[in-house]
Amino acid sequence: MLDAFSRAAVSADAKTACIGAGEIASLKQYIAKANTRLDAVNAITSNANCIVSDAVAGMICENTGLIQAGGNCYPNRRMAACLRDGEIILRYIAYALLAGDASVLDDRCLNGLKETYIALGVPLTSQARAVAIMKASSLAHINETNTETQMAESNQMLQQRYNKMATVKGDCSMVSAEAASYFDRVISALS
Amino acid sequence: MKSVVTTVVTAADAAGRMPSASDLESVQGSIQRASARLEAAEKLSAGFDAVVKEAGDACFSKYPYLKQAGEAGDNQGKVDKCYRDIGHYMRLINYCLVVGGTGPLDEWGIAGAREVYRTLNIPTAPYVAAFAQARDRGCSPRDMSPQALAEYNSLLSYVIESLS
Repeated sequence: MLDAFSRAAVSADAKTACIGAGEIASLKQYIAKANTRLDAVNAITSNANCIVSDAVAGMICENTGLIQAGGNCYPNRRMAACLRDGEIILRYIAYALLAGDASVLDDRCLNGLKETYIALGVPLTSQARAVAIMKASSLAHINETNTETQMAESNQMLQQRYNKMATVKGDCSMVSAEAASYFDRVISALS
Repeated sequence: MKSVVTTVVTAADAAGRMPSASDLESVQGSIQRASARLEAAEKLSAGFDAVVKEAGDACFSKYPYLKQAGEAGDNQGKVDKCYRDIGHYMRLINYCLVVGGTGPLDEWGIAGAREVYRTLNIPTAPYVAAFAQARDRGCSPRDMSPQALAEYNSLLSYVIESLS
C-alpha cells in the first residue's frame, strides 16, 4: 500500500533518481491542503451510514424489481449483504482519499471485485448505480451542498437536528475532484 | 511502504472500520513536521552530486589502504562502485525524508546489505566514515534550517547504525 509520499519514492526509485524539486512542489500542495483533505475524509466517515443507505435505497427505487421475489435484494439477508458491500466500498474510498493514492483501493477492494460479483450473480449495473449515488452524496457532504445544509440555512428546527460539520468554508475543488476520481475508479472497475 | 498514513490505514482496515478521529489526528501530526522534511529532501537533491563526492572522498582519505592491490578499491571500477553505493544510500535518505519514515531505507537499502557486504568481502567501516563525514559537514542555516538538518542527520545516523 502506498500514499502520496511513498508513491513519489517508488516512481523515483524506478528511474534511480532523487525526488527533485518538481515532485516536492506537488507534495507541498498535499500538505497545504491537508486540513481540507482531513475534513473531507471526516465528512464521508461521519455520514457513512446515511450515504450508503441512501444510495442503496435510491438504487432500489429506480429498479424496484430488486426487492421483489427473485430480485437480488429480495430477502433481508441479501439486502444486508448489499448494504455491507456499499459500506466496504465507501470505506476503501475513504482510505484512498486519506492516503492521496488509489493503491489501497485497487489492491484491497477492486482487485477481483467484478469477477466475484459475476460469480455470485450480482447485477453490476445496479452496483455501479449505487456507487454513483454514493459519489453524488459524498461530494455534497464534502462541499456542504447537501440538501440538509441548504434547508438548514432558513430553518431553525433543522439547524438543531442535523449533523452539521461546522467546518470553515473554503476551496474544496481539488479534494472533491480527487474523491470523485476514486468513485469513478470503482464504477469503471465494475463495468 | 511504511509511513504514518499507511500504518493508520492498515490498522483501520484490520479492524474493518472507517478512519477514526484519532487516525485523522495522527495524520495531521505527521503533516505538521513534513515541511522540514521536504526542505531537507529538496536541498539534498539539489546538492546531491557534491554531497556524494565529498562523502566518498572522506572514506578514501580516512582508509587510503583501500586503494592498495587486493583491497576493496584497487581499481577505478571498484572505486566508482563505492561512490555509486554512497549515492544509493543518499537517494534512499532523500526518499525517507519525503515519506516520513525509514521504509525506503529498510526495504531497499538495509535489508540484506550485511549479507551482501560479507559475501563480497567489502568492509563497512569506510561507508560509516563517509556518512559520518556527511553528518558532520551539514551546517544550519548555511545548508538548511535547523529542523530540516535534524531530520537529515537522524537518517544518516540510522544508516550508520545499520552498517556498524
